[in-house]
Amino acid sequence: MAQTLTNTTLAAVERALIEEREEGAQRTSVMTHVVWAPPAWLKAAERTLAGLSERHPSRTVLLTPAPRRKPGIDAVVDVREFAVQGSSRCIASEVVELTLKGARAKAPASIVLPLLISDLPVFCRWRGEPGWDSPELEQLVAVVDRLVVDSSEWEGLPASYERLMQLFGRVAVSDIAWTRTEAWRIRIAALWPGIRRAKKVEVTGPQPDALLLAGWLRSRLRRQVELEHKTGRTVRRIVVDETEVEAPPGPAPTPSDLLSQQLDVFGRDPTYEAAVQAAR
Amino acid sequence: MSTVENPLLEGLKLRRTPDSCALVVFGASGDLTARKIFPALYSLALRYLLPEHFGVVGVARTEQTTRQWAAAMRSAVQEHARDEFDDSVWEALASGLRYVATDFADDKGQDAVVAELSELDEKRGTDGNRVYYLAVPPAAFETIVDELGKRRDRSRGWTRLIVEKPFGRDRASADALNATLLRSFSEDEVFRIDHYLGKETVQNMLALRFANGIFEPVWNRQFIDHIQITVAESIGVGSRAGFYESAGAIRDIFQNHLLQLVALTAMEPPIDFTADAVRNEKVKVLRSLHTPGPKSFVRGQYGRGLIEGEEVAGYREEEDVDSDSMTETFVAAKLYVDNWRWADTPFYVRAGKRLARRETTIAIQFQRAPHPPFAEIAGDGLRPNVLLIHVQPDEGVSLAIGAKVPGQGMSIRTVHMDFLYGGAFRTGLPEAYERLILDAMLGDATLFTRADEVDEQWALVDTVVAAWRRDRPVFPNYEAGTWGPRSADELIQRDGRSWRRP
Repeated sequence: MAQTLTNTTLAAVERALIEEREEGAQRTSVMTHVVWAPPAWLKAAERTLAGLSERHPSRTVLLTPAPRRKPGIDAVVDVREFAVQGSSRCIASEVVELTLKGARAKAPASIVLPLLISDLPVFCRWRGEPGWDSPELEQLVAVVDRLVVDSSEWEGLPASYERLMQLFGRVAVSDIAWTRTEAWRIRIAALWPGIRRAKKVEVTGPQPDALLLAGWLRSRLRRQVELEHKTGRTVRRIVVDETEVEAPPGPAPTPSDLLSQQLDVFGRDPTYEAAVQAAR
Repeated sequence: MSTVENPLLEGLKLRRTPDSCALVVFGASGDLTARKIFPALYSLALRYLLPEHFGVVGVARTEQTTRQWAAAMRSAVQEHARDEFDDSVWEALASGLRYVATDFADDKGQDAVVAELSELDEKRGTDGNRVYYLAVPPAAFETIVDELGKRRDRSRGWTRLIVEKPFGRDRASADALNATLLRSFSEDEVFRIDHYLGKETVQNMLALRFANGIFEPVWNRQFIDHIQITVAESIGVGSRAGFYESAGAIRDIFQNHLLQLVALTAMEPPIDFTADAVRNEKVKVLRSLHTPGPKSFVRGQYGRGLIEGEEVAGYREEEDVDSDSMTETFVAAKLYVDNWRWADTPFYVRAGKRLARRETTIAIQFQRAPHPPFAEIAGDGLRPNVLLIHVQPDEGVSLAIGAKVPGQGMSIRTVHMDFLYGGAFRTGLPEAYERLILDAMLGDATLFTRADEVDEQWALVDTVVAAWRRDRPVFPNYEAGTWGPRSADELIQRDGRSWRRP
C-alpha cells in the first residue's frame, strides 16, 4: 500500500521506503530512474512508467514541479512487487513521486541526490522541452549519467537541436525520436552501396524523425542530402533518391518499449550527436 | 559488412539474423520437435530473428500430410512456447512448412526431401543453405548422415548438422559416430547439442568469472576449499525408461551436462569468446580431470519414497524398467583438475533422479578466514563464504557472508546476498533451444561441444564404468525424495566435509 506524505522531508520518504520494503520481496535495482514531468506531462509519464519498472527494476523518482504552490514537498512512496518468471520469489521496485512546491521546484538536484542508489547509473527522462537556461536542467544534468529526451515533444525544432548540442559534452544524451528511426535506419543501411551518393531523402512522418534521418545521412555519407518532409504521425514512407525503402517488419514499438531501450544504453552516442549537428 | 565499408552501419544495433536457409528436422513427429524445437522456432519468429527467407522440412516415419503435421506443430507451440500465441506469426512460419513421411533409409523418401528443399529454394529463396537437425535416436544417425552425404550438393550454399545427445554410449561408439559424421561433414559443420550450454545462467558463469575483477584473483586453490556441483531432479525416469535403462545417470547427465559445468567452472580465461578459444580452454580442463580411484565414484538407484508428500514408485517399479535393473539413477564423484590453478582442490559432483528437489547449482566454497577473532562466539552460525551459482530454478547468484547479529556483543551469522537473474533483467530468459538453433544457423559453435571434448568426457566415463563392472551394489539404495545414498555422504565426509543442503 503506497504511503502519501504531505509537506514532508526526505528522511520521512526514506523511512517510508524502508517500511514498504519490509513486506518481504527482494529489492533488486539496476539504476535510479529520475523523471522530470511538469504537470502537463504527468499523465503521459505515468502511462509510460506503467510496466516499465517491471522491465527495469529500479528506484524511480518522479519529480513534478509546482513552483506556484506554497513551498514544501509532497510525496507518494510505493514499493511495487513483481513475480519472477519461473520462480516463487518476488522482486520489488521502488517508486517515489515527489511534488516540488514553491522554491523547491528550482532545486531538484538537492532533492534527488539523497535518494540516488549509490554506485548505480542515474538516468533522467525529461518530459517535454527543457527550459534550456533553467536551473532545473543545469542541476539535473550535473547529477545524472544519461539524459533521455524525446525531441518530438518539442516545438522549437530544428533550432532546439542547437541548444541540445550544448549538453553533449556534459552528459550522455538519448533521444526517443532517434530510437524510433532505428528500424528504418537499418533498412536504409541495407541499400549501401547504392546510396553512397544519395542527394535527396523524402520522409513521410513526424518532423523530428525526418530531421534526424536526414542529419544521419548527411553525417554518415559526408555529403549534402536534401530533405523533403511530408507530415505523418509515424514514419510511413522513406524514399532515398528514387529508391523506396522497404518498411521494417513488425509493429512499431510502444513509448514504454522506446524508453526501455534507452535505459539499457550507456555512454555517449557519437552517431546521434553527429546526426543532430547535421539536422539543423 | 563492416562499418569501414558501410558508414551507415555505425552505431546500429544489428540483430544477429542468419542467412536465408531451410531447416530439415529428422524425427519431426517426435517429442523433442513438439516440446522444444517448434516452440523455439516460434519464439525466434516472434522476435524477427529467423531469416526472412526460411522454410522447415519435417521428416519422420509417421504417415501424415503437411497440413496434419503443421496442425500438430501449431498445437505444440500453443502448449509449450513461452510466448503468447499470435496467429499472424504462426501463419508466416507455417507457410514454409513441408512434411515428408518416409523411412530414413528409403531412397525415394530421401529424394522427396531433396525435392521439397529445391522447391523451398525456388519459391521461398532459401538459397541452398541447409540446417539438418537429427532429433532422432542415435541408432538412426548413421543412416541419415550417409543419405545426406550421398545427396549433398556442395556447389551451392552452406550446410550445418545439429546432433542431439546422447553422442555415443562410450568412447569407442562416440569415435565411430564422429567418423560417420566426418565422412560427409567437416567438424565446423557439426553442432553437437548439450542444451545446458544454451542456458543463460550457464553462460552467465563466464560473465561472472571474466567480467568481474573481484572473482578471478581468488578463483584458485589458494582461496577455494572445494567446489560442489549438483544436478538434481525430483522427477523419475518417466517415459524415457527405454533409453535410461541402457544409459543411467552417468551417461544421461554426468558425461555431458555435469562435466561441461566442471569445465566452465575450472577453465582458464579464453582469449576471446569465439568458438575455438572457449572450447580450447574447456578441453584442457577435461584433459586434466582425474578421479583418485574407484572409491571416489558412487552410484545409487532410487526406491520408493515421498516426493512433495506423495508416494512414488521405486525405479525398478517404473514402466519398461527391468525388475532387477542395475541401472544407476544417481552418481556422485570426487574429481581433481590437475593443473596449477586447481591442484588438490576437490570438485564434488552429484546428479540424480527422484532427489528431494529439482536444483542445479555450482557452489564455490572458499576457505575459512585464517584467524577469525569471533570463532568462539560465532559458533555454528559462522560458515565459510560460499558463492552459489543457481543454474535452475531461481536462476541467479548468491554470496554467503558472515554478518554481525544486531544487539549487544559480537554474535555472527551467515547471511545470503542474492542476485536474482530474472529480478534484475526482466526481459524473460530465452529457452536454451532458441539460442542454440539460432547459433547453429549463424554458424557460431561456441555453445556446442567439439569432438575432442566429447572424447575426453567419454574417456573419464569409460574408466568409471569399467571399474563398476567389477562389483554389484545392492540396489535400490536410496529413498525417493532424499539426497541420494549413504555412500554419497561418506564420499565427502571422508574428507571432513559435507554436501551442502540445496
